[in-house]
Amino acid sequence: MKTKTKMISLVASFRDPGGFLFTRDGVLYRQVNKAYAEDYTRLMDSGLYEKLVKAGLLIPHTESDTQAADEKRLFKVLCPERVPFISYPYEWSFSQLKDAALATLSIQKRALKRGMSLKDASAYNLQFHKGKPVLIDTLSFETYKEGEPWVAYRQFCQHFLAPLALMVYRDVRLSQLLRVYIDGVPLDLASRLLPVRTRWNLGLSAHIHLHASAQKRYADVALTEARGKRKLSKDALLSLIENLRHTVRKLEWKPAGTEWINYYSANNYTGIAFEHKKALVEYWLSRLSPKTIWDLGANTGVFSRIAAETGAYVISSDIDPAAVDGNYRQVKESNQQNLLPMVLDLTNPSPSIGWQNRERDSFLQRGPADVVLALALVHHLAISNNVPLERVAEFFAGCSEWLIVEFVPKSDSQVQKLLRSRVDIFNEYTRTGFESAFGQWYTIQSSSLVRDSERWLFLMKRKCHGNRCWLI
Amino acid sequence: MIQLYLDPSSGSLLVQLLIASAAALVIVFATSWRKIKRLFSRNKSKTAVSDDEDENEDD
Repeated sequence: MKTKTKMISLVASFRDPGGFLFTRDGVLYRQVNKAYAEDYTRLMDSGLYEKLVKAGLLIPHTESDTQAADEKRLFKVLCPERVPFISYPYEWSFSQLKDAALATLSIQKRALKRGMSLKDASAYNLQFHKGKPVLIDTLSFETYKEGEPWVAYRQFCQHFLAPLALMVYRDVRLSQLLRVYIDGVPLDLASRLLPVRTRWNLGLSAHIHLHASAQKRYADVALTEARGKRKLSKDALLSLIENLRHTVRKLEWKPAGTEWINYYSANNYTGIAFEHKKALVEYWLSRLSPKTIWDLGANTGVFSRIAAETGAYVISSDIDPAAVDGNYRQVKESNQQNLLPMVLDLTNPSPSIGWQNRERDSFLQRGPADVVLALALVHHLAISNNVPLERVAEFFAGCSEWLIVEFVPKSDSQVQKLLRSRVDIFNEYTRTGFESAFGQWYTIQSSSLVRDSERWLFLMKRKCHGNRCWLI
Repeated sequence: MIQLYLDPSSGSLLVQLLIASAAALVIVFATSWRKIKRLFSRNKSKTAVSDDEDENEDD
């Protein structure tokens, strides 16, 4: 008897005639179409696949004999290793985007040496897997033809170089332009936004400023006409890649005067309170043994690291790009494989964007997690952002079944700081008010006053399951 | 202003051709310069060290 299977084509890969992604019964597959047969065979036979996988730059896959999603065009079905959480360039910190850029160039250099070239240089094709950027689109390669330029050069500049330069020379928050411009920051815009002094940086002057002027100047010239009979030698192409790499590597960003990066030493935590909070979180997580944890408002990820020790995959989000960058640097240093730092504004989490609003998933669509950690977070949402406590609870209930949440009372010095600059209209912001607001969505399983502090920690379970009692 | 029938591809291509050729020249010059410097340097091993981490990425 034929069993009924659930097959879903994924919109993210719809532009590529070479193949597409689909899931069947929750397993991710990539169909390779006949149109891509030659390039796929070359990727595998040239040794490029093996080299890249060995270097941790390309996602490994196995060839599968599962039923194809589109038999007519079928060449092969691949089953790629699954990345636990898909994140997007506008959710990455500076160092994450920089490492993804360098990985792309490293891949292109190795590809050229084996007679292939990247046909895309989209930042969305890279994902953080086991702590490092990895190319997930196996069908990104094409056969290199001697004399041909790099077709993805412009895309590389738009997706990587322009936002990185803007983050360094203008403002780190400009990474958010990637959320508006899904195919990377237009170079004329980048050129206008960058300070004049970047014209003295040879790399940026050429790849962004000159590039933008040339785009404008030759905008109505046909490609074949512009090109004429000009050819680009492989050596020249490798020099271009080397030059891009040099330009990217020289871009350095350091946080200036952030109030978060030294948070743990600056706030009013004593050693005893911190140790008790840590012990409670460890104990509750050990009881739940979750597979995925979202640590929201994680700062530099101190508690994310504690959570990661359970073996769960931890998303460690914060609104501050400096804290996230610090977090990512620690991930790199300690070779942490199950922790993904990301930049996220919880009052305006990543929406679903792109074609039909379905190309890139919203933050909540990428859930649910098993547990949400919301430590020293609620007062920011409730007091700084005027979100009523039951709305805060509703948001968490849309993220996971279990919640470990901290309540910081008004008497706490951190909350006092927030109240200094605003009228105290938050009459319900008391522990009783907090428990009653969260009680609409959760049952409190356990609670404890954090020793040597006025803060409370709660373990809560969502009242109902599935989609019945909450809507996203 | 977004001009729907104008395409940035031609400009990108020309810039790429220009920069790649220039970058290739720079590399040829830099390599020769390094060799010359090495010729006159006492400590040959020191100047022979490459600053390119990925030099050995491809055996």
